[in-house]
Amino acid sequence: MSVRCRVPEQLYRRVREDLARPHEFAAERVGFLSARLGSRVGDERLVLFSGYHAVPDDQYIDDPRAGARINSTAIREAMQRVLDSGDGLFHVHHHAHPGRPGFGWMDQRETPSIVSSLQVAGPHQAHGMVLLSNDFCIAHIWLPRVEKPVVAQRVTVIGYPLQFFDAEGE
Amino acid sequence: MTNDRFSRQSFLGERAQEIIGNSIIGICGHGGGGSHIVQQLAHVGFQHYRIYDGDIAEDSNLNRLIGATVDDCQRESRKTTIAERTIKGLQPNADVKVYPCRWQNQPEPLRACDLIFGSVDGFAERRELEACARRYLLPLIDIGMDVHCVENEPPRMAGQVILSVPGGPCMFCLGFLNEQVLAREGERYGDAGPRPQVVWPNGVLASTAVGIAVDLLTDWTRELRSVVYLEYDGNRNTIKPHVRLQYLPTSPCPHYPANQVGDPAFTMR
Repeated sequence: MSVRCRVPEQLYRRVREDLARPHEFAAERVGFLSARLGSRVGDERLVLFSGYHAVPDDQYIDDPRAGARINSTAIREAMQRVLDSGDGLFHVHHHAHPGRPGFGWMDQRETPSIVSSLQVAGPHQAHGMVLLSNDFCIAHIWLPRVEKPVVAQRVTVIGYPLQFFDAEGE
Repeated sequence: MTNDRFSRQSFLGERAQEIIGNSIIGICGHGGGGSHIVQQLAHVGFQHYRIYDGDIAEDSNLNRLIGATVDDCQRESRKTTIAERTIKGLQPNADVKVYPCRWQNQPEPLRACDLIFGSVDGFAERRELEACARRYLLPLIDIGMDVHCVENEPPRMAGQVILSVPGGPCMFCLGFLNEQVLAREGERYGDAGPRPQVVWPNGVLASTAVGIAVDLLTDWTRELRSVVYLEYDGNRNTIKPHVRLQYLPTSPCPHYPANQVGDPAFTMR
């Protein structure tokens, strides 16, 4: 199974601009990207990002151990969005450094539980987590009814020029 | 392949050849325009092709179908076979998948592409191809030409190159497509007769399209042009930005909303 992601440049810029906004106490911001699945040949899949939803300031929890932690209202609203729209949702945040980013231990411990909630609300869509650095983007995708994520083979920002972010070893 | 195969195009950038080699290119229509595009892509070094055309080579194609021979017409070679032969002659290890049918009959491989070239006949075909490209977030470069004959005047040869990038203006926004031209085309369906086509305007349009594609992928010009709509005047031998670009709508494209992506699905709620 291989998965490629595509995101329009305007949307990609909007995500970056929102995540760059300072928060009263959180060290970083998080948001959610809407996505739909597209079929390719055989078991190859496309994840097509279509919208962005910022997490309101009052839905962050003041936790000095985490860069950003969101409360249950934020997660419940994300689940409702999945139910209302039928879209998949991807948790997205930014690590402020150049080069290929990597999910930290906190990301790997906490975010999959959010994804599990999203899968309950929308079992037929792909959900996951997206991580930006200053100049790179990676994505982990939970396909419908699958417990373990796959790493996106390629994330393409659709604009002029096209930007390609390939998985390691591609 | 020798090490200096692409040395004359190293100005495209350090990673350019890698990007070019990894990109999957869709070509819809291997006729007068598409055959120029295929040949040039192979020269540039593209390695992954998905080519659609349901036609066979005929005598009337030989005035413009690059790579086609008299023998192809006698053998009734498929145009996709000619495309594959052209590419393999330059890139023997290229991954070439050909589909001797309309792209609509086998659209899945097209969705996997990084970039599509459209060299199709008519406005309705263009509308369908752009709708697919928008739904799967694919950049599309469309080329086309026509010759208009008006009584007592010399024939007028015109053409266009349009880059349609999801999120940006579509061919409807640019005024190239509209309900009137689609309706007129529908009324004429079946009695249009053979449309005038010649080799040189297709060469100009295809070369321009390949140049846009290479820049889109490598950003070698660093011009960051967001909208490309070029008009070709075959009588004056000019190609220039279309006048309609001055009157582009500033609002997002209303024809292909951002949330209309992916496989269409019916959901019961």
